[in-house]
Amino acid sequence: MVAAKARAPPRTPATPIQPVETSRYLPDKTFVIDNGAYMIKAGYASHASASDESVSACSSIPNALVRTRDNKIVIGAQLATVNDWNEAMFRRPVEKGYVVNWEAEREIWDQSFFDGKVTARNRNHHIADPEDTTLVLTEAPNALPILQRHADEMVMEEWGFGGYARCLGPTLNAWNEIHSLFGDPLSNTSDASILPADCLLVVDSGYSHTTVTPVYKGQALQRGIRRLDLGGKHLTNYLKEIVSMRQYNMVDESYIMNEVKEAVCYVSNDFSGDLEQAWKSRRKRQSGPEEGIVLDYVLPDPNANKKGFIRPHDPLLHAKKKKGAVSGLSAEVLSEDVLVLGNERFTVPELLFTPGDIGMKSAGIPDMILQSLSVLPTGLHSAFLANVLVVGGNALIPGFMERLETELRQIASAECVVRVRRAKDPVHSTWLGGTRLAANREELSKVSITRQEYQEYGSGWAVRRFAGLV
Amino acid sequence: MFRVELVSDTSTATPGWSYAPTRGFDPTQAMAPTLGRKRGIRDAGKGGDISSRQANAIARHIAELDRENQRDVAIPAPVKQAREAGARGTRAKTTSNVRRILQSQKTFRNHLDDEEAAIASGSGGIGGMQGAGGASVVAQARNSIAAKGGKAAATLRRSATPASTAGAKRPAAAMADTTAGVSAPMQETADAEPDADDKPPRKPKLIKSQYDNDPLLRSYAPPVPPDRLMQRLLAEPPLSYSASRAKPPASGRPGRHFCCMCGYWGKIRCKSCHLRTCSLDCYKVHEDSSIGKELGLALSY
Repeated sequence: MVAAKARAPPRTPATPIQPVETSRYLPDKTFVIDNGAYMIKAGYASHASASDESVSACSSIPNALVRTRDNKIVIGAQLATVNDWNEAMFRRPVEKGYVVNWEAEREIWDQSFFDGKVTARNRNHHIADPEDTTLVLTEAPNALPILQRHADEMVMEEWGFGGYARCLGPTLNAWNEIHSLFGDPLSNTSDASILPADCLLVVDSGYSHTTVTPVYKGQALQRGIRRLDLGGKHLTNYLKEIVSMRQYNMVDESYIMNEVKEAVCYVSNDFSGDLEQAWKSRRKRQSGPEEGIVLDYVLPDPNANKKGFIRPHDPLLHAKKKKGAVSGLSAEVLSEDVLVLGNERFTVPELLFTPGDIGMKSAGIPDMILQSLSVLPTGLHSAFLANVLVVGGNALIPGFMERLETELRQIASAECVVRVRRAKDPVHSTWLGGTRLAANREELSKVSITRQEYQEYGSGWAVRRFAGLV
Repeated sequence: MFRVELVSDTSTATPGWSYAPTRGFDPTQAMAPTLGRKRGIRDAGKGGDISSRQANAIARHIAELDRENQRDVAIPAPVKQAREAGARGTRAKTTSNVRRILQSQKTFRNHLDDEEAAIASGSGGIGGMQGAGGASVVAQARNSIAAKGGKAAATLRRSATPASTAGAKRPAAAMADTTAGVSAPMQETADAEPDADDKPPRKPKLIKSQYDNDPLLRSYAPPVPPDRLMQRLLAEPPLSYSASRAKPPASGRPGRHFCCMCGYWGKIRCKSCHLRTCSLDCYKVHEDSSIGKELGLALSY
């Protein structure tokens, strides 16, 4: 703190003296990092008007340090080399959606973006000269100011980027081409620069939490931002807990259970009906595999180098296995471990819609959307309800969109049109929006600070600058 | 006349099971006489229908779900090799800020506690980041907004059309309840806007429907808020971390309970640990297994 004070200039420049526009140098090259808790999405923004191919310029790097069963520590992109995920332990720099531990985050960033030479493999995400690069970094809404300050200080002092913009992740989605997504007529601004959507309600359901952000002309309406402290991590852990109690002990198998979750989970559009059905098919004793809610998941076997997979439930498998080779099963089938997943498939993602199922006193996503709108002028409600965009990994759970649209339709005012859409690529949508913002140089320079400005005014100023107070 | 009796919440090891009444909307329960003294004490402060012990168990369960690993593990960052340290040499030296951040062992919980303490003492938020400098700017901005709002309101009072403007601003649409959420000064400035901007008062747009001939069934779209209001809304500082958390749902749907063994509806409750099960089959399995009480309590709710 003392050092920061000493570095900070006397109070006068902190008051709104706008730096002269001509003297500002914002590097042309723009690097966008969407620093997710689970996965970092990073890459250069291309200058050509963004298209579908620009997603290929984006690299997804796991945001974690992992200790594998054989006590090896693996970082970030190296995780792709890990074969044996049994008992893998994770350390994540991001807690509750915000970067808290910069010691770990620096390791991952250094290894991913700064270490070594430019090679064909890391060409897309290697930053050779930070001084000549503008960084667009996303953060989750309602971050603690102290954590924002840490991020600014790390970016500007540890790596020394030439330009820097810290943006609310969800707001960047408004820069994407969303008119076609909602089936609106394209505005005839094909030649003009890229502009954000007027009204967009972004539901971002990620690894650590789910947020609702009303975005008006590319800026968040802060009073309407709401957060549900449930995300993909909680779903995985909940599934892990249930399975551990009912079948095998999987408490140390976060990675494997995450894969199981991604393979089998879905959001039910008829919860009690599905529950009945799952219950009945558990009771049935028919022969052979059957179609239904209940599935078998064959756990991965790293020794045989086999990945996990799903197949229809075979109620007699257990009995057959007991009989051993007599039943005519091959040794391969006899050696495999199978999880039987029935109602777990939909009761787990159900938490996002009914957090009360684990006793949590919080509204589900549709209710949260209305809570967010309730503090905004009524004139905007219809505009936001007609433009609900869902991003984040949980949007990929089958049935999620249908359920959200149905429930929102039920509780929203009858006069309003409700349109809920999933971004074309919900995981990379925020990153893509960042690149489109970067293509609009004028807007980008409005929200950025330069290295010079940072050195002149200090990090306290930077935090207030990004909050729009200076 | 039937009588509904609540199952005792005591956790003494009573053997057996009982049907669990569905709580929440039960009107008979609302009329039930006050229950024993002990329950009153246990429920004190929580205000809800669950005991503090259950509330703690739920909180612990949610904290469990928030963990990265089941066990506490320390995964140190690998030591940088000398070669890489050499490569780092091209960069500027590590500043004291960076060193402080890297060495900080604080968790999010610690930071949040700090922030909440700062807010409680009146210096939290971004304004408090650099002491009086930031705060004064915010205060100044607030004052000027208040002054403008006041002035606009004054002109409104003097102008001849306040009643009609105000009337037009509050359409008979079904969304009336939502206006209550907008804070009072906001509403005031919103109402004052047309006069301040010297624009004709906007007419609410009629939403076309087949019932338009009936004056009672006509519905109007609320007017789009004026630009200045939007600018003011956009300039607002972010809410604090805790303030932005979603509130409990408005609809008082009773909580759902599931069988702790198979996940089906939890219809009966174990008398000794309050876990719910769906049937006697599951109850027997539950009785035989020795599941920790902690987890049991959390799941029973």
